[in-house]
Amino acid sequence: MSDKIGVYVCECGPNIADKVDIKKILAEISALNEPPEKIIIAKKHKLLCSKEGQDFLADEITKNELTHLVIAACSPRDHDITFMNVCKKTDLNPYLYKLVNIREHCAWIIPDKDEATEKAIQYIRAGISRVTYQAPLTEKELDSIPDVLVIGAGIAGIEASLSLAGENRKVYLVEKTSSIGGKVTRFEKILPHQGTNLDIIQEKIQAVQENENIKVFTETEVEKAIGFFGNFEIILKNIHNEEQKNDFKVGAVVVATGFDLTDPEKIPRYGYGKIEDIYTSMEIEESNSKTGKILLKSGKPPKSAALIHCVGREEKGYCSRVCCNYMFKIAQYLKEKIPAIKITEFYQDLCLPNKADQEFFIDTKNKGVDFIRFKDIAVRQKDKEKFIEYTKMDGKKEKISAEMIILAPAIEPAEGSKDIAELLNISLDETGFFQEAHQKLNPVATSIDGVYIIGSAQNPKDISDSIIDAQAVGGKILTQLIPGVKLVPEVTVSEISDAFCTGCQTCLSVCSYGAIYFDEDRNISIVNEAICRGCGNCVASCPSGAAHAKHFTSAQIYQEVLEAIR
Amino acid sequence: MKEQFTPKIVGFLCNWCSYAGADLAGAAKLKIMPSLTVIRVMCSSRIDPNLVLTTLLLGADGILIAGCHPGDCHYEKGNYYARRRFALLKKVIKTLKIDPERLQLSWVSASEGKRYAEVVNQFTEKIKKLGPNPIQTKPYL
Repeated sequence: MSDKIGVYVCECGPNIADKVDIKKILAEISALNEPPEKIIIAKKHKLLCSKEGQDFLADEITKNELTHLVIAACSPRDHDITFMNVCKKTDLNPYLYKLVNIREHCAWIIPDKDEATEKAIQYIRAGISRVTYQAPLTEKELDSIPDVLVIGAGIAGIEASLSLAGENRKVYLVEKTSSIGGKVTRFEKILPHQGTNLDIIQEKIQAVQENENIKVFTETEVEKAIGFFGNFEIILKNIHNEEQKNDFKVGAVVVATGFDLTDPEKIPRYGYGKIEDIYTSMEIEESNSKTGKILLKSGKPPKSAALIHCVGREEKGYCSRVCCNYMFKIAQYLKEKIPAIKITEFYQDLCLPNKADQEFFIDTKNKGVDFIRFKDIAVRQKDKEKFIEYTKMDGKKEKISAEMIILAPAIEPAEGSKDIAELLNISLDETGFFQEAHQKLNPVATSIDGVYIIGSAQNPKDISDSIIDAQAVGGKILTQLIPGVKLVPEVTVSEISDAFCTGCQTCLSVCSYGAIYFDEDRNISIVNEAICRGCGNCVASCPSGAAHAKHFTSAQIYQEVLEAIR
Repeated sequence: MKEQFTPKIVGFLCNWCSYAGADLAGAAKLKIMPSLTVIRVMCSSRIDPNLVLTTLLLGADGILIAGCHPGDCHYEKGNYYARRRFALLKKVIKTLKIDPERLQLSWVSASEGKRYAEVVNQFTEKIKKLGPNPIQTKPYL
């Protein structure tokens, strides 16, 4: 059958029409006509992306029974989808069309009209050559499961579960400890307004327990998670009884595994674990919320306390963001209970990112708490007296004594993060926290579609930021994983020819998505099309030429190359 | 009068960063020399060494591969693979008696229209100085 290729040049108002000689382009392209094998129809239009332009194109495709379509207009980043949708309205497969960018890459950057015209002709010729090598592709539809697995039942996991669970959507909430609520349940009050914490968190815990669409598994871990967005197979196991397993399918996985505090014993200069009456902030919170008291080991209230921020900040290489605020909170606890206490807070840098933080800091200061910025700091004991020896910013060395020392250790990723990353095929970054898809533009997504990270699993976060994340992930999942709506995975994916594959598995090692698996019996690699994103890395790495990138095959690219160097 | 040498340069641009950067250069109406022809690929890691070598052996005077900056790859780490393949290719090209300077790898982000224009113009100037790919005049190579 002969190729009947329609080439349509868009004037794009004056954008293209004024910069290139469209008449000349049409004449040269029409001259490529080689009936009966290759019939070329070349026309121009004022604005192809307009409603009228789209109707014109659809009409041309049908009327001329086009086998291929080339549009010379703007960037595919602007209107590739527009014109693919035009094809879909006709009998022409949208992958038998090619958009040639003669606006951004010609008309707008080459001031000389003749040169720009020549360049446009070159690009269009390349487009015509390429399009005849393109193959029709069909979009597939996959059933999706709307249910969600949430790993970690801290404040972020709880909030995400509450946002997601509903009539048509079950949530499986997995927690490795024996109760839900996470670290927040250990705090007596929530800053900055020092509201009583228990009511707020208890309300949420109760809401989870009463919600029949949330199934809670405590003392449980995820053993297996295999699949892709819309369809993950999950197996859970009880920590104390490996035989006790649960398996089910979900469409998405939310990682809300939270944080741990760095063990300050690992940084000897703070004296923690060796010198008496040095505590971590969490120990003070726990003692306070359990007994309502903050006392020295001797049972007496301290007359003086030193609160040291930024413990492990240098070692970790990042600021933990939440410590400044909670150290003010602890100072306020102490001042309430022991009004005569002398409190000094030592910090390297203050981190007060939220709108209420500055006021909370000033309020703490006004309650008689001293603040000292240090360069270096160490805790020493001499004759049962504890000294904080520090170098001030001006280089001056000083020391003060304190009966109680409270440390704010750096927040670090929760223990076991690495195992979870491996299980879900997502990455940790150099800090050890889970790696987001994009730090600014896509912070709750990961490199794997359908796997999300929220709360302090991603970055040290306070309660409100964790709630924001949880609600954000709710929005993402609720809009993308709709009950009854089928998923359309990427069409332009890789495929591996089983005839050419030698089973070297190089492709498996370069794939960022775990989209390729190895069939041991047949000794070949196979692409899971539902996971593949179509980057083409496996194609470039394949030594036997077995891997192909659909719609970006070597043959198609060569056609463009040949025109470029003609 | 000697005819002026107009080089034929192929530019493989990744869809997400460099192609978008080129679009931005266009939208800003920056002046770019017309010697380079853009070929869009999804990721710089799609550019296999065969493609580069064949393009050079077919007579391209220069090849530019442009991708996202390290750490910014749309596909996580495709550009790192591109960089490693590029380093190797540079050595292989030498053995073909082709100046390795004819092959360039540049990082251009979606917001770097100006940088894209500079990269293309500088590379074009460089190729103009290098002259035609010897493969064209010495087909036995």
